[in-house]
Parts: sequence; C-alpha cells; structure tokens
Amino acid sequence: MTRVAVSRRAWSATPSHSTAVLLLLPLAIAVAAFVLYPLVKLVGDSLADGGLQNYSDAFSGPLVRRALLTTLLYAAGVTVVAVAIRWGLAWTVRTSASRLVKGLIWAGVMLPFWMGVVVKNYAFTVLLANNGVVNRVLTGIGVVDRPVQLLYTPGAVIVGIAYAMIPYAFFGIYAVLSSVDLGLPAAAQSLGATRTRAIRTTVLPLALPGIVASAALVFAISIGFYVTPVLLGGAQTPFMATLIQDDIFTYNDPTEAATASVMLLLCALLVLGATFKAVGRERLLRAIA
Amino acid sequence: MSAMHEGSPPITAGRRAADRALRLLGRLGVALSVAFLIAPAVVIVVLSFSGDDVLAFPPRSWGLRQYSELFSSDVWLPAIWLSIKIAAPSALLALLIGVPASLAIVRTRLPGRFALQIGGIAGMIVPISAYAVAMYGVFAQFELLGSFWGLVIANAILGLPFVLVMGTAALTRVPVELELVAITLGASRVRAWIGVTLRLMLPAIFGAAVLAFVTAFDEAVFINFLGGPDLVTMPKAIFDSVRYGVDPAITAIATLLMVATGALMSLPTLLRKKDPR
Repeated sequence: MTRVAVSRRAWSATPSHSTAVLLLLPLAIAVAAFVLYPLVKLVGDSLADGGLQNYSDAFSGPLVRRALLTTLLYAAGVTVVAVAIRWGLAWTVRTSASRLVKGLIWAGVMLPFWMGVVVKNYAFTVLLANNGVVNRVLTGIGVVDRPVQLLYTPGAVIVGIAYAMIPYAFFGIYAVLSSVDLGLPAAAQSLGATRTRAIRTTVLPLALPGIVASAALVFAISIGFYVTPVLLGGAQTPFMATLIQDDIFTYNDPTEAATASVMLLLCALLVLGATFKAVGRERLLRAIA
Repeated sequence: MSAMHEGSPPITAGRRAADRALRLLGRLGVALSVAFLIAPAVVIVVLSFSGDDVLAFPPRSWGLRQYSELFSSDVWLPAIWLSIKIAAPSALLALLIGVPASLAIVRTRLPGRFALQIGGIAGMIVPISAYAVAMYGVFAQFELLGSFWGLVIANAILGLPFVLVMGTAALTRVPVELELVAITLGASRVRAWIGVTLRLMLPAIFGAAVLAFVTAFDEAVFINFLGGPDLVTMPKAIFDSVRYGVDPAITAIATLLMVATGALMSLPTLLRKKDPR
C-alpha cells in the first residue's frame, strides 16, 4: 500500500516544471539562436577593431550623428501624430452612432494593412512624384505653378511612416477603449463639465497607460523603418536606415553598420524598458496586436 | 455652493466656445485622417485599370492592360510564388514554436517563462533595420545568405509574436476547469489539451497563422539583407522595381494583393461570426 503511494507522485492541477520546459524548449532555442545570439554578435561586431573608439568615431563624424538625431527627432514627431490620430479614430469608432462613420474608419484602418509594406511605399511614390497625383492636383487648382519636389525628401519619409503607424495595433486600442464605461464622461457632463473636460478627466486617465504603451511601441518601430526611408527618402536623406543600407551594400563597412544598429537598439531598449517598468508586461503586450 | 472644489471652475461662455471649437477640430481631424488613410489605396486601384503605358492620374484611357501585363510577365508570377513558398512554412514554424509555448506561459508556473515570452515577441518591437543587420551578421557567419530555409526561419521569428500574443490571450479566456473536467473523466493532460483547450483556441490560432503568413509574404527588410541576389520574393521585386523606375503593372499586383490579403485577414472574423457562441 505505502509503496504504491510513494511510487505515484501526487497529481497537481498545474503541470510540472518538466512539462513546461518541454513545451518552452522550441521557443527557448529560437530565442537563443535567432534573437539573443544575433544581438550579442551585433554588439561584438560593433566593437570589432577599435572597441568603444568606434562609437566615439561615429559620433564625432557628422554623418552618423546627423542621421541618428534626424531619425530620433522625426520618429518622435511621427509618434505624437500617429498616436493622437489613432486614438482619435478609435474613440470615434467607440462613440459614434453613425454606421457610415464607423465603416469608413474601419476601412481607413484596414486598407493600409491589406496593402502590405512595399505597396504602401509604392503608392506614395506614385502620389508624390513630380508628375504624381498630388502635384497634379496642386498645379491644377493653382496652389503652385510648377511641381514641387515632394518625393525623396524627409517629409515624404515622415508621411510614409505615419501612414504605416496610424493603424498599427488598432484592435488593441479599440479593445482598451471598449472597456471604458461611457457612463463616466456622461456623468461628468451631467454634473456640468464640457464634453472636452469630461473626456479629459474620465476617459483619458483610464486610457493613459495604454496610450503610453502604444506610443513607446510606435517610437521603437518607427526608428527602425527601412523600406520607407530607402524608397521615399532616396539616397540623400539622413536616416539611420539609409546609412545602414549604404554601409552594407555600398561602402562594405559592416562595423559602422553594426555601430549604428546598436545605437538604434539602445534607443529602442531605453524607451521600451522605461515603458515596461511604468505600465507593466500585460499592457505592453496588449498594445502589440 | 462653496463646496465646489478648486479644480472645477464654472462653465463660462468662453469655455463652452473652446469646447465647441475643439470638438469641431477633432471631427475635422478624423475626417482628414480617414481621407489620408483611404486615398493611396483608391489611387492604386483606379490606376490599375489605366490603359496607359505611363502612369497618369486620372488615366487617359481605361482597360485591363496592367493585369494582362502582370499575367504575361516572367518576373511577377515567380516572385509571388516564391513569397508563398516562403510564407507557408514560416507561418507553420511560428505556430509549432508559439502554440506549445503559449500553453506553458499561461498554464504552468515555470519561472522565467515571461522573460522567454518577451524574447519571443522581440522580433516585432526591435527596430527592424538594426535586427536585419544583426541577422545579416549571423547569416554571413554561417553562410546562410541567400538560403531558402534560412529565410523561412527568419520570417518565422517575425510571425512568432502574433502567435505568442494571440495564443496567450486566447488561453487566458479558456477556463482551465474544462481541462480539469476532461482529466477527471479519464483523459490524459495531453488529450485534454488537444481535445478541449486547443480546439477552443482554434479561432485565435487560425488568426495568428494568417497574420504570420501575411507578415512573411509581405516581408521586405530581411529579404533585402538575407536573400542574396537570387531569392526575389514579391516585395523584393516591387522594391527593386520602385528603386529603378516605376512599372505600372505594380498597380495591378497591388490591387490583387489588397483584395487577397483583405479576404484572408477577414476570414477569421467571418468564421467567428458564424459561431453561435
């Protein structure tokens, strides 16, 4: 009797650690081999022949510093605009009674997704070219008499990134707003607040952690954009992605590419880490998809 | 009412006017944003029915010229086929890694499982240019540049975040009691997981698979760094074409892709709506 009891381990509703290890093994291997190792190797490559000197060299040269500052600044601008528009749209879907308005917003959010990354940028090259749609409209209505250079400017890159980032993770944001009780702003208004004030004092504080999480993600993703700076910014725009692609494909300088990449990574890590600390894992995950 | 507290001043006419102006501005902003989001797609679809050999908007003549160019081209169809051949195993691999991991993350108490989860979603939140350079270094080291399976694995890493996020979210909504009932009735844990839990997760798994597939199909950064000269997927072909002059047939591809992607991504939602629950 006792032997049976000893040989059979007590059954637990929670699976054992060995089961967990078995289930997590593929993920652990994938993360170790294709996330951790590449990133560690990247840092190693960035320190190749020169060590930390590579970083001070990169910073003292005008090229990398200018690219880094431009990228960070523009990404910050895109983040503010994209997040504001995105939450405005989500809030309108949540509160609007009109089916047409809701439908149009959903269409506006889904279409960029369906277009795919390269097609989006292709569309903007068609729109912004010298003989493109926007210039035709501008000259047609007489705003300008000659086509303006729109494509291959930093402005084109900003528009392209914003276009991609406005609908990003719209479902997650909509879910956050869906959980907000619409009775709250209504109650505030019935107590005498204006609509603006009612939203600012009831909805905004509830949504704020979600807004912060999504802003951090937009920023981290925006600074990494590759296709948009290369296609819409042309060869001369000072973006990190353009610099990296030149380093690898034109100048054959993998060390500078690695150094520049590590700088981007550190910026993203800083912002995401701070956000992770501030709002927690759950909220950050919910802002992703 | 002297009890009214400091932070709530009475509504004055000016305040009301400001409120009205702000709301109007908000509506205008929403309208402009929606127009901005829809316009590029509309322009592409309209242009795809242009009969011109050089793009102009509005088109001077109409027709299916772009579509016939597309289907008679020896560049676009092989590129689309290669994209599918890479995306399908990538999505499958992402599921094989991500679904068991989701089970472990939600249903077990192993320390460190959340750290692994964050590692698994890194592919989506790390700046992609930097990540591509990192992968380029590794692929160059192991001579995987231009390798089909190397690209499949790299794309699977990009699809993994969808599986992990949607999988764990779905699992937290499946009551653990259902598994326990099945086990009490004599099923093994594996059988309970497969027969009960995974079946209830199926819509989420399907949705994640679609997103992982579309991500890999549409992937344009890794392919530039890791694909070498010979692997030309659909995004790579468009990318190269746009860099060296614009082929109007792309409007036809873009339109077809938009419709196909839209249909594919709406499928999970449509299937769920049919579900009586």
